[in-house]
Amino acid sequence: MMDAFLHAATSLENDYVKKWKSAGKKIIGYTCSYVPDEILHSVGILPYRIRGYGVGDTAIGDTYFGPFICSLPRCMLQLAGERKFAFLDGIIITPGCDSMRRLDECWRKANDDIQGILPKFHFHYGVPHKYADYTIKWFYDETVRFVNAVESHFNVRVDEEKLRNSIRLYNESRKMLEEFEALRCAEKPPFSGTEALAVIISGCAMPREEYNALLKNFLEESKALQGIKNRIRLMLVGSANDDIELVRVIEESGALVVADNLCFGARLYEDLVEEQGDPVFNLAKRYLAHNECPRRYGDYKKRLAILREKAHRARVDGVILQNIRFCDLHGAENGLFERDLEKEGIPCMRIEREYGPLVEKGRLKMRVDAFVERIRQKRREIA
Amino acid sequence: MRIVAGCDVGSLTSKAVIMSDGKIIASSIIKSKARPWESAESVMNEALQKAQISMNNIAFCVGTGYGREKIPFVNEISSEIACHAKAARWLIPNARTVIDIGGQDCKAIKLDEKGNMVKFITNDKCASGTGRFLEVMAKVLGVGVDQLGELSSKSKNPITCATACTVWAQADVIQHINDGVPIEDIAAGINTAMAARMSVLAGNIGVEREVCMTGGVAKNEGVVQALEKILGVKIRRIRNADPQIAGALGAALIAKEKLGEDK
Repeated sequence: MMDAFLHAATSLENDYVKKWKSAGKKIIGYTCSYVPDEILHSVGILPYRIRGYGVGDTAIGDTYFGPFICSLPRCMLQLAGERKFAFLDGIIITPGCDSMRRLDECWRKANDDIQGILPKFHFHYGVPHKYADYTIKWFYDETVRFVNAVESHFNVRVDEEKLRNSIRLYNESRKMLEEFEALRCAEKPPFSGTEALAVIISGCAMPREEYNALLKNFLEESKALQGIKNRIRLMLVGSANDDIELVRVIEESGALVVADNLCFGARLYEDLVEEQGDPVFNLAKRYLAHNECPRRYGDYKKRLAILREKAHRARVDGVILQNIRFCDLHGAENGLFERDLEKEGIPCMRIEREYGPLVEKGRLKMRVDAFVERIRQKRREIA
Repeated sequence: MRIVAGCDVGSLTSKAVIMSDGKIIASSIIKSKARPWESAESVMNEALQKAQISMNNIAFCVGTGYGREKIPFVNEISSEIACHAKAARWLIPNARTVIDIGGQDCKAIKLDEKGNMVKFITNDKCASGTGRFLEVMAKVLGVGVDQLGELSSKSKNPITCATACTVWAQADVIQHINDGVPIEDIAAGINTAMAARMSVLAGNIGVEREVCMTGGVAKNEGVVQALEKILGVKIRRIRNADPQIAGALGAALIAKEKLGEDK
């Protein structure tokens, strides 16, 4: 079971993607968790989250991006330039942050030089920076524009009933992932944080029906396991991370990542989509409302409350606040989180890193080791 | 009292400390070799020879440094951050801030009144602000890295050196040499650049007295004085041991704790 998740989480063109393509079906990639999967699912297109996983060097990415920019979109462009996303029939870029917005321009420019790396369907999906009545309306309009673009390009029709079925299917996933979250936060979690991240990421890289079936079996098997104990319980927060190796490095120091607040993590599955009423509007509302990313203006206190609640629920001993170098959004917010969580007695460690495979393992491990030692020292003091 | 040891395999140098009865009975520093286990064995053998004992006499040994996981003879490992914190309190009993400048990284550690780590930060950008920076600059100047401190004390008009990048700073230094700037003014500029870089980290955790400086660079009086000037706080000089062995000393102190002989 775990092998299937690990495979999907650590390969771009995984077996599920190959099977889907060999059946002649379409796949659309997107870069940010604001894109409603359900719309694509309802018309038989596989929604796939574009990642930068497995990059060896960034020569192509460096050509189009400036030096002072997040390495995640740079790695994505690198892989696109190497034709690693040749299986995609379309891409959606969202302005999740300025670096990601630039991916849209850079990918189009790179396509002039490395022809054929940009699928014919490429859509810029605007996302507001606030959550309010008028921004939901704005995002709804943008979602309708997206629906129209998909219908027109792929010659399909987004049928209301089919869309409702897709919403129900994805809500089933979310409900199962709530159970998964409860197991993860338990006193003796039946799986590691590394495995947990693989489970979550797989959801962005395989057909939902197969994912739900795997997830159901995984939960049943997990409930029978004894669970992991006597580890320092940590929460991982901050910039996008789809690299299970980062979590593995943290866990090698005697820690267990029992909670996260990452856009490739728990933020993906929190909250259901309402099943009554206009499905497109409900999707717009849920996707804009649920995603507590620091790109959203004015919601710091709400995000702090989320971390506080998670830290309490998962009984974490400490929080790792990480950000990818040049990620101003998470970098700035992590400083505030550190200040406020430390005040409440929750030990925090901030780290700035390069994205994914470029991570400096030795230096990172030294800091995590020291952080775990700091927490152990604190425990001894209390005892 | 049983004999304990600490072994710190760093990126540039490896250090070993042997302690008995709460005192350092031998220590050793060597240039790190390509393989961490070779460095560990060499430096430990050297220290054992000085103490005139064998590894069998060591009751507990803790490893630290970048090569800590590859040291074959240790009973346990610990991060160098925890080791420097531990050593700092032994060297300066009321230390609350530890500034460690090692070969390829620098750290600032904040301690509470009991000596527990409450916060730490390490450099995460490049070689600037590390021992390697000084080593590169000393090589360009054609002097030993240990001469930089003494040279800078003779400076009348220190140069301003680029602090952001070791390579660019090196280009700056070469330009000054070509322009005939006195070597002591260049050395002073280099030390100030180093201190400026480190002060950013120290400022980040909030400097509290007493301040203790560990690592090989603590032996460079030019950097220490420049740092005192920038931070506006006196840095306590370590008199009872070589600051460069602090990582290994901390490891030995942790080894002592593990034997229950820390009190």
